[in-house]
Amino acid sequence: MKPQLLFYIGKGGVGKSTTSAITAIHLSRNSRDILLVSMDPAHNQRDIFQKDFSEKTRQVTDCLAVKEVNVDYWIEKYLKDTEKTIKRTYSYESAFNLQNYFNVLQFSPGLEEYALLLAFENIIHTFEDKEVIIFDMAPTALALRFFSLPFITLIWLEELLKLREKIYAKKEIISEIKIGRKTIEQDKVKAKLAILIQEYGHLGDHFKSGATRINLVMNNDKLSFSEAFRIKKKLLDIGINIESILINKSQSKTIPDEVRNEFNHQKFGLFPFSSKNILGYQAMSEYLDENSEIFAELK
Amino acid sequence: MVLKTIKEKIVSAFHLADEVMRGKAVETIEYEVGELDNIFAILVLGAFIGIPSPPIHITMELLPEMEKELGIMLEKVSTAHDPLGDLFSVLDID
Repeated sequence: MKPQLLFYIGKGGVGKSTTSAITAIHLSRNSRDILLVSMDPAHNQRDIFQKDFSEKTRQVTDCLAVKEVNVDYWIEKYLKDTEKTIKRTYSYESAFNLQNYFNVLQFSPGLEEYALLLAFENIIHTFEDKEVIIFDMAPTALALRFFSLPFITLIWLEELLKLREKIYAKKEIISEIKIGRKTIEQDKVKAKLAILIQEYGHLGDHFKSGATRINLVMNNDKLSFSEAFRIKKKLLDIGINIESILINKSQSKTIPDEVRNEFNHQKFGLFPFSSKNILGYQAMSEYLDENSEIFAELK
Repeated sequence: MVLKTIKEKIVSAFHLADEVMRGKAVETIEYEVGELDNIFAILVLGAFIGIPSPPIHITMELLPEMEKELGIMLEKVSTAHDPLGDLFSVLDID
């Protein structure tokens, strides 16, 4: 069975890392095999757990492992792999000065979210045996770019494929007139475009599948409400639904009407305010024990 | 023997004429395909010449398969100063 994917998104500072860490501990205490992945370049999980994490998965308990996605590592790996492929094809690459181009490429806009997408793809393939994978996402802007990347890529790929098919059809006409039959060599670019469309289609489907749950974290304040409404709209534009709304540092046990009205199809969860510092595994476990009634529903 | 040689020459001339006519017939469409290939290359590889381009990973994925298109794009740069002259020569306009 494929793992369930839980994403924690929201405005910077609302507590995505804390709520995702607490959820991860809660689920692992119920003997579910959990992987918590920090996708936020700020990597707050190491401060929250007070442990060093890296690209290499580290077991915190028997049922809970934590991993940090290092965006720079993925960008470097991607550029090296591409450079190798290009060097194989273009024997005269030095003539185009491609080496210099690659040095600049690492600063290209859009590469950061692509690196996250590569890491995501790698994680869902490597950790198929996990029951739940929890993604602690970067703040809104980068997270939205990450979610929309497969869909934007698909729009480009489909338009390029249309143009390529037009070119191919004309080449067939030329071949038919010139040599009397439609025999032209297979268009490698067209084939590659078709493969890419399939791959990005799968990735986009992942975000929309039932196994993926998007949790939108917010605080009980005007600014985080406003941003949450905008996130909901942006995600809906690309066909992604929000599963639940988590109100962190909540001092009341009721959901504000404004939020309830806007998110009438979503579930709600409250993470009560704590006057103590919830840092370290022990402190988070105590927080869960103190609020066991609330978290009993969370399975 | 002589007749056979004449027949062979006529057949060969016919083939040559057929080839030339066929070549002539597709000259314009070949030019159009060249232009479309160039547009495709510019769309995908625009980043190399400062034109807004698709997400960079699309360019990088396709680049290894686009040696020919990259060549066309660079070749077109040499005729870029006189695109009308290039077009007129295809259409046989002096």
